[in-house]
Amino acid sequence: MALLRIDNLNAGYGPVNVLDNVSLTVDAGEIVAMIGANGAGKTTTLMALSGIVRPRNGSSVVFDGDHIESLPPHEIVRRGLAQSPEGRKIFPRLSVLENLNMGAFTRKDRPGIAADLAKSFAMFPILGERKHQAAGLLSGGQQQMLAIARALMARPKLLMLDEPSLGLAPQIVVQIFEVIRDLNQQGMSVLIVEQNARMALKFAHRGYVLETGRVTMTDAASVLLTDPRVRAAYLGE
Amino acid sequence: MPLFADATDPWLTLLQFTVIGLTKGSLFALIALGYTMVYGIVELINFAHGDLFMLGSFVAFTILGLFGVQSAGDPYADAGFVLLCFAAAIPFCAALNVAVDRVVYRPLRNAPKLAPLVSAIGVSFIFMNVGLFWGGSQDVNFPNLVSDDNLFGETAKIRFTAKDLMVIGVTVPLMVALTVFVKFTSLGTAMRATAQNPTAAKLMGINTETVIATTFAIGGALAGAASVTYGLYINTISYQIGFQNGLYAFTAAVLGGIGNIPGAVLGALIIGLVVSLGSVYVGERWTSALVFAILIVILVFRPSGLLGSRTREKV
Ligand SMILES: Nc1ncnc2c1ncn2[C@@H]1O[C@H](COP(=O)(O)OP(=O)(O)OP(=O)(O)O)[C@@H](O)[C@H]1O
Ligand SMILES: [Mg+2]
Repeated sequence: MALLRIDNLNAGYGPVNVLDNVSLTVDAGEIVAMIGANGAGKTTTLMALSGIVRPRNGSSVVFDGDHIESLPPHEIVRRGLAQSPEGRKIFPRLSVLENLNMGAFTRKDRPGIAADLAKSFAMFPILGERKHQAAGLLSGGQQQMLAIARALMARPKLLMLDEPSLGLAPQIVVQIFEVIRDLNQQGMSVLIVEQNARMALKFAHRGYVLETGRVTMTDAASVLLTDPRVRAAYLGE
Repeated sequence: MPLFADATDPWLTLLQFTVIGLTKGSLFALIALGYTMVYGIVELINFAHGDLFMLGSFVAFTILGLFGVQSAGDPYADAGFVLLCFAAAIPFCAALNVAVDRVVYRPLRNAPKLAPLVSAIGVSFIFMNVGLFWGGSQDVNFPNLVSDDNLFGETAKIRFTAKDLMVIGVTVPLMVALTVFVKFTSLGTAMRATAQNPTAAKLMGINTETVIATTFAIGGALAGAASVTYGLYINTISYQIGFQNGLYAFTAAVLGGIGNIPGAVLGALIIGLVVSLGSVYVGERWTSALVFAILIVILVFRPSGLLGSRTREKV
């Protein structure tokens, strides 16, 4: 059974519909990439899954066996669906440590939280070095690391990442994708949204192509990487 | 109002009115915190906040009336009545503030900012009229339960009375407690997180509506504490005290940088000094104008206030 199963997700802003019957699954242990051009609706999809944008009637989102399409955001996080949002959205005037603690807001198991904090600092040592500094003082790459580590502090079953490579230097991008692969090898399921399609498809098991709010293609990531249409539209070839 | 002991020494006058100013300022701070915390979290200037404070003082006044307390009597009984006033006015103001948010502001959370603002002005008028109905249009005497005796002895050159001490004794511990809560507890950190980025806070699993309700509760509770302290300190209340003190406190919050908690306290101490020293060196009837002038000057030249960040990263 899929960990996440989206059927006919419709969502938008006010009178405008952005998502047009998006259907998608993520199995436990998978990395799934969603690629698409500017404004295709990738962020809207993740925000609808997190309950920030309300899915419209007829949408069905089943996560870990439960319908979550009408739950408030905090209930969704509590069930194990966390996201590192586009643009990082760290809390600039909270310390790095406070940001990470906010990631664990729904948890009460203090020893587990302490252990996960130690893991974050092992994964991204710079966050440990700067833990008492205001997060707004971190560089872009460090903020991205913080956003990912913060989402992991919820100890999610499925981690959603929105454009983790945006605006970062190439070697940092590689570092971040390697962390994502390590997490996955430890059992974390990942849904990643990227404009950097080549990178995302290289690391993912399966992929979806989103065009103006509709899923137009889905296949194994290796197949998409060689598909002529994908190569032309998203890999710049 | 304590009088200064030695009118002939200008330095003593200055010192005396500085003490009075800081005492009053700490009272304004309790009210200013309610403006600034609510603004910090929902970007609403809660114009009804001063009037909430006024209603709190009427709750205390009514309770004393029910027990037939009109003036100081047995000190132990008086202390009990004072505690009873706090125990009633604090939850009353907290609950009323939360209720107004729930019923009036929350449905307008995603509406243009003008909608809740206009509603807040409406709530302010409603509260003021309730106060008018409750206490009448005249000033009423709030029982003088705390001593005006100079703690330094009646012949000392500086007056610092039991009343002044009471104000400090109420305001300072509350401000310390608030700081500890906001800085060191999980809910307090969630409050700061929600103020900085409500969407991100939701993505952390923070129920932002609970956080907002908590903020209104704390702001209301502080106003409730301030209202009883005010009654015991000034000994005159009326339906209009919310407007004047609300204006002073609001100006304090803007002066410190609206949304900034230490800023509100700093701003309130400065406004306290301006009101107190202004009454000696400029004249009592000019103090409101002076405070208004400060408000306008800040809004024009430094809208972010003394401690506020110049650029807000709100989207
Ligand atoms: N808050 C909003 N209000 C109104 N329209 C919005 C809002 N956010 C996004 N949109 C619109 O919804 C559409 C999809 O946007 P979305 O952000 O989901 O795209 P995206 O695939 O994430 O794009 P990008 O690659 O640029 O991040 C766009 O047309 C965008 O203009
Ligand atoms: Mg996007």
